[in-house]
Amino acid sequence: MSDTLERLATAVVEGNVDSMEELAQEALDEGLSAQEILNDGLMGGMNHVGKEFKAGNMFVPEVLRSAKAMKEAMKLLEPMLAAGEAQATGKILLGTVKGDLHDIGKNLVGMMCEGAGFDVRDLGTDVEPDQFLSAIKEFEPDIVGMSALLTTTMRAMGDTIKAIEEAGLRDQVKVMIGGAPVTQRFADDIGADGYAANAASASDLAKEFVGAA
Amino acid sequence: MSTIYEKLATAVLEGNSDKVPDLIQKGMDEGKTAKELLDNGLVVGMDEVGARFKRGDMFVPEVLMSAESMKAGMGVLRPLLAEAEEEMLGTIVLGTVEGDLHDIGKNLVGMMCEGAGFEVVNLGFDQPPQAFIDAIKQHQPDIVGMSALLTTTMRAMGHTIKAIEEAGLRDQVKIMVGGAPVDKEFADRIGADGYGSNAPAASDLAKEFVSAA
Amino acid sequence: MRTNYRVNSGVRFRMLTDDQLQELFDGVLHVLENTGLEVHHEESRQILQEAGAWVDGTRVRVPSWLVKESLRKAPRSFTVYARDGNREHNIHIGPGRAHFGPGPTCPNFIDVETLERRPYIKDDVSIVATVVDALPNIDFCESLGSVDDVHADLSALYEFAHMFPNTSKPIVAWSFDKYDSEGIHQIALAEAGGQEAFEQRPNYIHYCEPLSPLISTFEALDKLVFAARKRVPLVFTPCAIAGGTAPITAAGIITQGVAESWMGLTIAQAIQPGLPFIMGGVLSVMDMNAMVFSYGAPELSLMMAGVTELAHFAGLPLWQTGGCTDSKTFDEQAMIEGSMSVYFSALTGGDLCHDVGYTESAMTGSVFQLAAMDEAIGYARRITRGIDVNEDTLATEAIHNVGPNGHYLREPHTRRHYKTEFWYPNLCDRRNFDEWDTMGRKTMKDRTIERVRDILASHEPAPLKEGTETLIQSVLEEAEDRVQQDWWQEREIAD
Repeated sequence: MSDTLERLATAVVEGNVDSMEELAQEALDEGLSAQEILNDGLMGGMNHVGKEFKAGNMFVPEVLRSAKAMKEAMKLLEPMLAAGEAQATGKILLGTVKGDLHDIGKNLVGMMCEGAGFDVRDLGTDVEPDQFLSAIKEFEPDIVGMSALLTTTMRAMGDTIKAIEEAGLRDQVKVMIGGAPVTQRFADDIGADGYAANAASASDLAKEFVGAA
Repeated sequence: MSTIYEKLATAVLEGNSDKVPDLIQKGMDEGKTAKELLDNGLVVGMDEVGARFKRGDMFVPEVLMSAESMKAGMGVLRPLLAEAEEEMLGTIVLGTVEGDLHDIGKNLVGMMCEGAGFEVVNLGFDQPPQAFIDAIKQHQPDIVGMSALLTTTMRAMGHTIKAIEEAGLRDQVKIMVGGAPVDKEFADRIGADGYGSNAPAASDLAKEFVSAA
Repeated sequence: MRTNYRVNSGVRFRMLTDDQLQELFDGVLHVLENTGLEVHHEESRQILQEAGAWVDGTRVRVPSWLVKESLRKAPRSFTVYARDGNREHNIHIGPGRAHFGPGPTCPNFIDVETLERRPYIKDDVSIVATVVDALPNIDFCESLGSVDDVHADLSALYEFAHMFPNTSKPIVAWSFDKYDSEGIHQIALAEAGGQEAFEQRPNYIHYCEPLSPLISTFEALDKLVFAARKRVPLVFTPCAIAGGTAPITAAGIITQGVAESWMGLTIAQAIQPGLPFIMGGVLSVMDMNAMVFSYGAPELSLMMAGVTELAHFAGLPLWQTGGCTDSKTFDEQAMIEGSMSVYFSALTGGDLCHDVGYTESAMTGSVFQLAAMDEAIGYARRITRGIDVNEDTLATEAIHNVGPNGHYLREPHTRRHYKTEFWYPNLCDRRNFDEWDTMGRKTMKDRTIERVRDILASHEPAPLKEGTETLIQSVLEEAEDRVQQDWWQEREIAD
């Protein structure tokens, strides 16, 4: 691996936001393609981050910093990537369902997925099924992630999946759900494609969905 | 209306030393024998005390109060039993061995044994072998109990047993030993007949020795 | 007789100075006055505006004088009564008194027979309540779980309906919305003998939870308004996560959490001056690797201590947390985390300490953890009771009577004090090796399981009054009808 790619990977691990653009430019000047820089430099760094996080050697703020560093480099690389390869990993649409204002768990999922290289759009809290539908049409995500903290609002996840089906969009997306009261059994009941117990496993699940695990 | 036996047993259980002699008198007036009052009243009460203590439902000060009420009852019954030539439970000589000033464990054993109906001769602490030998000759006990709290003094129990053997008195008595550092293995090694891990166990062991358990 | 003799009533812990407390207090007032909160409840915004708060859309800022006035109105000391008149089950909230009880809403439960983790069901409610009723150091009741096998909207109502008959200790009732709250209140009134009798001798506490950061949700306030009008003592506590939904520093999370709680205080005191109000909150850290809200962190105890001192500084009782663990099972970690936090709670005198019996960071309720913590609380309470020093306890007379080489086992002084001077364990084993061996070498876990099962086999809680059971059934039937008709969907959320 070229020295510059290694330095890029290290900069991602260290979350060195300020030097990303410069390093990416350097790599381009050396004749490396945007795709090579992404796959061998940035993603190499992010994979390392994922491993260290699981081993308990890195903390959430550091992971988020690494994700931000990766994004910085992507600003430069994105226009150069061939169509269809524009996304590092894939696109994820996130939201806390109708009636529920709890935000923190879903935010964490979003940040962890960004850290894994996904393009994430977060619809926020108290999101109506219709809002999910129009966002699916416009953003064209690979994955829809829904969250609920309350047993009373978790049923709204089922309603949302039904609405996605009725709109004929169910085949276009994988649906993953989460939140304290949610279980695999519940995910199966309402017809979700998967369930994640926490933010790190949500990001793993998302990678699995797009075949990037 | 409860019988005189039940009243006696209850008085012992409650540690009511004042009431026991009166109740015995009342029982005698009703035509009960001393032996009957002892076996069906006092001993039944003490057995219940023992059971409750083992379950953790009674505490040492309460057990001692019961033992005292038992003793008060025995004070009245003993001459009557002797008159009727009834056999007493037995006599125990107790002492803490030479070099050891610890007293409390042996005193507890003494009080528990008295409560169980034994005649107890307490020699005190720091007793040389000769004191035990003299006491055996004088009181003709069924059992000799020795105690030591220190690992340095527990060896004196072995010396005392040897002295009793040399005096030709070993066959006349059962010997039980106890104290924090003492265990079954040590008791066997020095040739004692038994070991009690705490005061109620010592009292049970004494009863076993005289086959009253 | 001694005069002007300064006495410490027991061992207590004080961490912050008056200057630090004043600074925290001023910080809270500043947040309420300067930043304010989102208040998602129109009626509450009106009440606040009329009381003197500044309302700007859904954002409400509360001037310091109004907060201070609300604090002045709320009592520091009051009593919550046992439903059956059993004085030993009353809770006297006031300085120097720490009370303990389980928490609500765990999705899972440790099955009492199989010891396996599984979803929490309706039958578990009466198990928890019966164990609470029997344990000497557990003072109030919550359910340790969210009922999974009833309609989701009714799980809180079912919890209350099944706790109430199985313990006469006061219940802290959690609910989803004011419909649950109404049902719960009806049941409580039936036993108390009507609204007026209830107001004089309240037999339950109502629990509401605002959202961090700085949001008073519709449901939390709708329930608060209901409880305040019915004069139900109120817990209003956020569950803020340091580094996630609140500042990462202890002082910062205390400031924000208390501001969230005092918004509720201001509304409650405007509706019902003098309403017993127990402020929150439950504050801990988000573990930056495991990403859980930690229930076993030392910072939890530390933050609880800080917010307890601030509550008492401001003249309010506090709702806090302890006796819980991040461990997944009944193990050494669970015992360390649970015992340390109840000991700390007892030392700070935080008024109502809940969540006793939580394992797996509030995901699983365990009556075994609860029973073991009952033991730890007994231990802690003996320590906080401290050392009594007076002529009798100095025992110079007994010392003289016994003299050298005597013993105290028979002394009247010993007999007078042995029951109160010592704490006797229920679960900790102090027997010698041989006895322990003979009894089957049981571990703390074995003994705890046995104790819980013994309680369930033998304990009989005080019965309800005649008629209450029938009323409970009709309240549940009405609620079932309501969710069948799905009023829920048609309900207008006035925001």
